[in-house]
Amino acid sequence: MSVMEAGTPAAGIRGAAATSAETAARETLLSVENITLSFGGVHAIRNVSFEIAKGEIRAIIGPNGAGKTSMLNVINGFYHPQEGLISFRGQERRRMKPYEAANQGIARTFQNVALFRGMTTLDNIMAGRTLKMHRGFFWQCLHWGPALKEEVEHRHKVEEIIDFLEIQAIRKTPVGRLPYGLQKRVELARALAMEPDLLLLDEPMAGMNLEEKEDMSRFILDVNQQLGTTIALIEHDIGVVMDLSDRVVVLDHGEKIADGMPADVQANKAVIEAYLGVEH
Amino acid sequence: MFYREAGQFKTTYEADQAIFPILQDRMGIAVIMVLALVIPLFATDFVLASIMIPFLIFALATVGLNVLTGYAGQLSLGTGAFMGVGAYACYKLTTIFPDMNIVVMVLLSGIFSAGIGIVFGLPSLRIKGLYLAVTTLAAQFFLEWCFIRIPWLYNYNNSGAIEVPERTGFGGMVLAGPASPPITRYYVVLAIVVAITFLVKNVIRGRIGRTWMMIRDMDIAAELMGVRPLFAKLSAFAVSSYICGVAGAMLVFFWLGAAEPSSFSITVSFQILFMAILGGLGSLIGCFYGAAFIWILPVLLRTLLPSMGLDIASETVEHVSRMVIGALIIFFLIVEPHGLARLWQIGKEKLRVWPFPYA
Amino acid sequence: MDILYQVFIDPFVQMVELPDFFLQVLWEGFVSGVLYALIALGFVLIFKASGVFNFAQGIMVVFAALSLVGLYALGLPAYVALIATVGIMGILAYTVERTIFHHLVNQPDIILLMATIGLTYFLVGFGEFVFGGDPKVMITEELGLPTGSTAFDVLGGLVILQHIDIAAAVIAIIMVACLAVFFNKTRIGRALRAVADDHQAALSVGISLDQIWMIVWFAAGIVALATGIMWGARSDVSFALEIIAFKALPVLILGGFTSIPGAIVGGLIIGIGEKLGEIYWGPLVGGGIESWLAYVIALVFLLFRPQGLFGEKIIERV
Repeated sequence: MSVMEAGTPAAGIRGAAATSAETAARETLLSVENITLSFGGVHAIRNVSFEIAKGEIRAIIGPNGAGKTSMLNVINGFYHPQEGLISFRGQERRRMKPYEAANQGIARTFQNVALFRGMTTLDNIMAGRTLKMHRGFFWQCLHWGPALKEEVEHRHKVEEIIDFLEIQAIRKTPVGRLPYGLQKRVELARALAMEPDLLLLDEPMAGMNLEEKEDMSRFILDVNQQLGTTIALIEHDIGVVMDLSDRVVVLDHGEKIADGMPADVQANKAVIEAYLGVEH
Repeated sequence: MFYREAGQFKTTYEADQAIFPILQDRMGIAVIMVLALVIPLFATDFVLASIMIPFLIFALATVGLNVLTGYAGQLSLGTGAFMGVGAYACYKLTTIFPDMNIVVMVLLSGIFSAGIGIVFGLPSLRIKGLYLAVTTLAAQFFLEWCFIRIPWLYNYNNSGAIEVPERTGFGGMVLAGPASPPITRYYVVLAIVVAITFLVKNVIRGRIGRTWMMIRDMDIAAELMGVRPLFAKLSAFAVSSYICGVAGAMLVFFWLGAAEPSSFSITVSFQILFMAILGGLGSLIGCFYGAAFIWILPVLLRTLLPSMGLDIASETVEHVSRMVIGALIIFFLIVEPHGLARLWQIGKEKLRVWPFPYA
Repeated sequence: MDILYQVFIDPFVQMVELPDFFLQVLWEGFVSGVLYALIALGFVLIFKASGVFNFAQGIMVVFAALSLVGLYALGLPAYVALIATVGIMGILAYTVERTIFHHLVNQPDIILLMATIGLTYFLVGFGEFVFGGDPKVMITEELGLPTGSTAFDVLGGLVILQHIDIAAAVIAIIMVACLAVFFNKTRIGRALRAVADDHQAALSVGISLDQIWMIVWFAAGIVALATGIMWGARSDVSFALEIIAFKALPVLILGGFTSIPGAIVGGLIIGIGEKLGEIYWGPLVGGGIESWLAYVIALVFLLFRPQGLFGEKIIERV
């Protein structure tokens, strides 16, 4: 189990977190119903339903190959499920292009860092503002007047995020040169620059050392509480999940095997079997 | 040493985002611009007509290719044909409107190649990488075929070639045609090249340029962040083809004076691609280095080798210069795969931290 | 309506009316298809084994043919010249590996592609420098290759088959069979596929990149020599041959970059499609469509199957 239990600051803050009653009363931001996704004959997700309430941190856990990342891909429109419904902010949708999902306010980070490697940290985060910028080609050519004003406005916003995540020093560094932990942080910054309603984090702490994990947990909580962003989180470190999340969904072999408060899920027999194996 | 930014503080984001935020860079570019304006007054017609004008035109075509391949990451082998579209469009335009300013015609002709570029860019929505190269090759060979088979394009000339008629602009100055003095053409070309390069730089450091680079670096992530691949890729094709078209029109009207379909063959496409690669993909300054290297070096070899007293046949010089260029391309790829622009950048970084080896 | 008739009906009517001519066209297409396939094979070999899209394959064909003719002109007997040319291709493979690719391990594909384009430039200059730019005649007879032709009475007409074309097809089939065995049944074949996937990973399991690359470049050199002889026997040996290298690209697109059978099938489709198009549809637009038809065929295929005929369906992951 993780060190997160050992009374790190993150754990302390979570102590004052919302109770289950509060969570249930919140309005639903996103719900997936009976999602089935397959590639050829391989079922990646089978008939999975759950919902994410506004303002919560929702963890999706499960062993490798359980279909967690596929689930995120379905949510932001990169994969199209064969069956099932997704509704976001009460609007149902079927086949949606990824950029439409982005437009509706869904941002994400990736399991394997998917930064724009040829660009600097600043440009990467500015890239997150793409949807919020509207000046057309003519003004872009001149880079003057309204276009310059817009650019500077968004630069202010980006600088806020840079301050928030404490990455001022690497502002002008090409991201390819950054160490892994910082790349993950830049990726979070880029997602935050989109000012999303729903933030999907795909293993934000994979491959990090203890200190980096603590930092990242801190940032996730800050984002959730200060910016009010709803977060769906995939993570393997159970300690982190238990400390951070309000509710947990457990997937195994593409099926949902448990859903509920962290403590309940932790005690769930099916979950323990999925993680530790079944005695025969 | 002398190249230091210590003490140059930025107090606004506008200043921080300037093209040349460092004082020394601004001074450098000013010196280069002054030289570009003054040198022709002392240079011979040969230097202007066979070195400077083609260098600038090829540099512009390289800028065009770089937008597509270097910034948007879409490999193109059809640059020559897109230049051809610009040239033929300009020829037709100036036939239809003989009294219009030729510079305006040249700038308008790019619009036609932009249109053609968009058409041939459409497959890029489904096809990526080397596979896309076949699309641009199709464009190259199909358009070349059109230049031969559609007599309307060359006004039904028996030779099948287009010849530049005398054209004027800006109050009767002879800008194109056999009677136009090289120095006038040089200044016109210089103005167009500098202006377009400046505009492209602006686009690249803004939102649209970022969407191109997003598509280049990680197309899936770009899409998940709200970039529409359709718009990003086609706009890159359009801008790139526009620039190549203008370069092609200039190639004929301000340099060659006449052209036939083979002037826009696959060889030209490759020449431009070499310039882009050697200069550095994804770098505007690199386009100029690359063009200088690939264009000026053979010219120097051609003029210098015989003048050193070596009695060599002109074919041999041609062959040797090919070998030298091929070898140099390989050499640079091994030393610095990111091109001359990266070498330049590394040099500047070293100067900035001098006398320390790193900082 | 008339144009629709000319495009969709008339060519087929012609085909049925003159079946012997149709067969002749098919055969011509088949032969050029075999040669395209041979060139594509050279590409596939190197691509499969190093992930390099070898642009220089076309010039290697020219270079091999020129060396052979050049050595013969120096007075060597034809077979000695042939063996010496194989030796030259070996030296070329060694030099290319030592001076270029040895230094470019683990670079992105585009850089490797560029290096081969640089190599093309160099070889063109070098070839012209050594052999001169004039077209040469291939020493077909001296090598014991059959010349002449046989006419068959088919369907009320004559179909003429050149012996050299038949020989080309046979040699191509033998070479493909050898390569297929080499790739699928030998230890080196497996190592080749490993290298193509990931340089670093291949190095880390103890595969010698240098050795592998030399072998494939040498194999590609031999394929180039065979292609050069066949192609040279049908026309002249000249640098104009280089242009056919571009035709390999649509062939590869159709067949997939790593599939040897794909290269063959793709080559035949392009060869036959091109000839049929030129003969039956070309006159509608003034002819000469051979120059671009191959690319358009490949493009149309790509739009429906972006992964090529023999490629696997791509599932994108993030």
